[in-house]
Amino acid sequence: MLGSFSSEWVKLRRRAVLLWGLGGGLLFTVLITVFTIERAVKTIVPGEHSHGFRITVAQLSQADGLVHGFVDASTLIGIVALCLFAGATASEYSQRTLSNLLVRQPRRSELLTGKYLALALFIGVAVVLAIVVASAFAFALAPGKGVDTSAWTSSTGLNDLGQSLLHVYLACLGYGILGTALAVILRSPGVAIALGVAWVIPAEAIITAIWSNGDRWLPGQLLSALAHGGTSDASYSHSLVLLVIYAAVAAAGTLALFARRDV
Amino acid sequence: MTTSTTPSDAVSPAVVTHGLSKRYGERLAVDGLEMELPRGVVSGFVGPNGAGKTTTIRMLLGLVAPSSGSATVLGQSTRNPAAYLARVGALVESPAFYPTLSGRRNLQVLSRLGRLDEQRIDEVLAQAELTDRAGDLVRSYSLGMRQRLGVAAALLPEPELVILDEPANGLDPAGIREMRTLLRGLSDRGVTVFVSSHQLSEIEAICDHLVMIHQGRAVFQGEVNDLLTAQHSDLVAIPEHAGDLAKLAALCNDQGKPARVDGDTVRVQAPGDWAAELNRQSMAAGITLRGLQSTRASLEEAFFAVTEGEQQ
Repeated sequence: MLGSFSSEWVKLRRRAVLLWGLGGGLLFTVLITVFTIERAVKTIVPGEHSHGFRITVAQLSQADGLVHGFVDASTLIGIVALCLFAGATASEYSQRTLSNLLVRQPRRSELLTGKYLALALFIGVAVVLAIVVASAFAFALAPGKGVDTSAWTSSTGLNDLGQSLLHVYLACLGYGILGTALAVILRSPGVAIALGVAWVIPAEAIITAIWSNGDRWLPGQLLSALAHGGTSDASYSHSLVLLVIYAAVAAAGTLALFARRDV
Repeated sequence: MTTSTTPSDAVSPAVVTHGLSKRYGERLAVDGLEMELPRGVVSGFVGPNGAGKTTTIRMLLGLVAPSSGSATVLGQSTRNPAAYLARVGALVESPAFYPTLSGRRNLQVLSRLGRLDEQRIDEVLAQAELTDRAGDLVRSYSLGMRQRLGVAAALLPEPELVILDEPANGLDPAGIREMRTLLRGLSDRGVTVFVSSHQLSEIEAICDHLVMIHQGRAVFQGEVNDLLTAQHSDLVAIPEHAGDLAKLAALCNDQGKPARVDGDTVRVQAPGDWAAELNRQSMAAGITLRGLQSTRASLEEAFFAVTEGEQQ
């Protein structure tokens, strides 16, 4: 497994992977952080047309104010993770490189697990990089909007920062399992990514609009709830338990298919 | 990856298959293949496209599960490829690499995966004559260079057995000659080489042993020389005077040796040792020969003779 992990890192150092894998999440996080702070208002007047979500300066000045943009960007960071895992795994089929890999590492479960762990570490670096850079932007922009940042560096603020980082990272690992499963099933990066993104964003939104309990059961909704540390529809513990079950089933099925299918 | 070589491994054939079959739906790609490859020689695996060569190689490498039958590689069952693949190098079908990684990085991917010594990378790049281009992205490589990188990848683990599927594809004549030298060099060092090709002249030039496959079944296996000498050979006789061509052909036909005029020669289907008799009879008939030679059947002719016989 160590060989597979180490081998995957050679591929992850490609310029395009660094650009999209690290830069994608970073870009979304910074944009949403900047957008959140710039649109902060003193008070929200009831009935005022708000053109989307708005937050007050007072809310931003609280301990968790620093991570608002980061958490709101979590679905987009998750989509980047899904694309990364699906692309890296399915391209081994589409580029026909999988045969070479399996000759050097015939223990297929070790090959796939090592690859997943390498990608998991990579996306962890991407998440940390995103929060660090977005935080720098937040600290730079906050005084201009009258946001008091002193609570952000309090112990509560740092605790919120750490928890948000963990929640978003766990959600990314979930998106990664979804991407890997789709890649092994479909064996085409384009199809796996398209289907994954289509499921997580429009398909689940439509299903949730029809089925009111969808928020509590659909994987994309649960991943979003997990990243937010729980929502009014799905608590953190409910989301985590269900996602662990979903992930275990998906991982077992993916490993079984990967191990048994002819290459 | 850890493997061990038991004493029985070392003396057993490099590859043995028993009734090895692979079915894809209605199509039987490999049909009860019986094959045995000796160690330390270059064995050719020939057959037309679609004969089942690549499927067989994939089964030997554990990439494809057989539908029935069994196989051993270096004394180990193909049911457990981890037991022998550390001692095997392979190039399967056309070489596939990461186009946006350099040749060296591509080998690093495989080297790390197999927990191999990364110092081997420079050695195999030199063997494949790719040192100068090792830092270039693979997408800038010609097909021949990719083929050579594939061979370099196969040599990474210092293998006991090298399995190469169509290694000469895309190579220019100089590249083909280098490949021939490389494979012979491996064999001289005791490495068993199993090389598939549909280019029969190439196989004839480099192989000691041969497995001929047709419609998924082995139709011949053994020494290349045994196959070629078992085929009809031709005697080519050149009379001094062109006017004797028809007379000479008729003389041979009368002796039960089919002969035909071919340009300024007469080609006679007869074994090489009939040359002396032909010379005597020509002299007796007043025909002076200015040339007489025996030509052996080529592998291509032998292949068609064997496969046509198989179909009948």
